[in-house]
Order: sequence, then C-alpha cells, then structure tokens
Amino acid sequence: MAVLTKEMVSGLVKTGASCRVDYAFTPRFQAGDPVLVRNIHPTGHTRLPRYVRGKRAVVAQDYGVFVFPDTSAHGKGEKPQHVYSVGFTARELWGPQASDRDTLHLDLWDDYLDPVRSSS
Amino acid sequence: MNGIHDLGGMHGMGPVDPEPNEPVFHEVWERRMFGVMMATFAGGYYNVDEFRHGIERMDPAEYLHSSYYEHWLHTVEANLIEKGIIKREDLEAKWAQVAKGAS
Repeated sequence: MAVLTKEMVSGLVKTGASCRVDYAFTPRFQAGDPVLVRNIHPTGHTRLPRYVRGKRAVVAQDYGVFVFPDTSAHGKGEKPQHVYSVGFTARELWGPQASDRDTLHLDLWDDYLDPVRSSS
Repeated sequence: MNGIHDLGGMHGMGPVDPEPNEPVFHEVWERRMFGVMMATFAGGYYNVDEFRHGIERMDPAEYLHSSYYEHWLHTVEANLIEKGIIKREDLEAKWAQVAKGAS
C-alpha cells in the first residue's frame, strides 16, 4: 500500500493529483465545432450538470485526454477521452430573459457530447 | 446522479458572501481532516471520482446542513468502509465513545 511521504505533500497540496492520461488519439471535436450536450441521467457519478443537458454549445478548446469520471468512480476503468472547454450562451441555458452578452464555459468529457450536423 | 450537489440554476440559496481574510481552516479538526484525506488518498484507498461520488451519495438534507470538511469526512468514512479498511461498527462505537466525552 502506498504511503504519503513528507516529500509528496507540497506537490499534492499545490496542484492536486492530475487525471490527465498520456494516451494520444484523435479528438472527435475541434475548436469551433457546434455540439449538442447529451440529455442523459446516469444514476452514478457524472460531471455533467443537469442545466446543460440537451443544450447547444460550441467547442472552444481541446484540453487533451483525461480519465472519465463516470466510469472511474465505479471501478469500471479509466475510459480515457478528450475533455473540451465548451461554450454556451446565457440565453441557450436560461432563456430569452437572460443577457445576450453573457456566456458560460464548462469543461466537458467527449462522452457527454454529440456532433451537430451543419445541415441541422 | 441527479443529486442535491447539482445546484446549478437553483434559486433560494442566498447570495455568495465571501468572508474577508478567510483563514484556510476555521477549526483545528478541519486541518486534521485535510491531512486524513491527503494520507488516505495517497494511500490509494480511493480515487478522486470515488471521493466526489461519496459526497453526492450523502442524505440530501444532511448535505445541505453540513460544511465543506464535513462532506470530506463523510466520503472518507464511506470509502474506507466500502473498501474494507475500517468497519462501520468500529466507527460507530468510536463515535459513541466521543459523544460520551471520552477521547
């Protein structure tokens, strides 16, 4: 069993433990791609908040590959995948009474997103 | 899970009111809780996602009434019990002892 040593403390406290995975594969989305957040309601752990499910967004940035929390929390493996910064307009999330200038960016895993075809 | 932790968009929680010159820890036990979490996490007893899910599985009313580090205590206890590191009956016996004023 691993033990926390004095030498490990400073790094762990400063940066936490990274969930980045050294596993290169082609991302499904690029910056600028329109996406539709999946309307899913997993009964286990998820990092997908309810208020963005079923909403349209645009990918702002690809952060790289990370452990997937939805499987990792349940002993079902790392299922590594890309995490993106995804931008929503306030009006997409909160309706026409919201500001037309405000936006919100969330960090979302690949499995939370569907592509939006340009024809739709 | 669609739990009480997923507060985004909810009304009625009051303003966000940051405390001026907030200390890192408000109580000595919070400092200890931080250390217990770091030691058991580095020990490999649970990963960060299991840690978070343990908080999500708290009773919703208890979740809202308890503090940040109380959430940590809850999930560390739950994870250590589920991984077989400690026994629930041992923990409850210790809690009963503490409640009676013994250390």
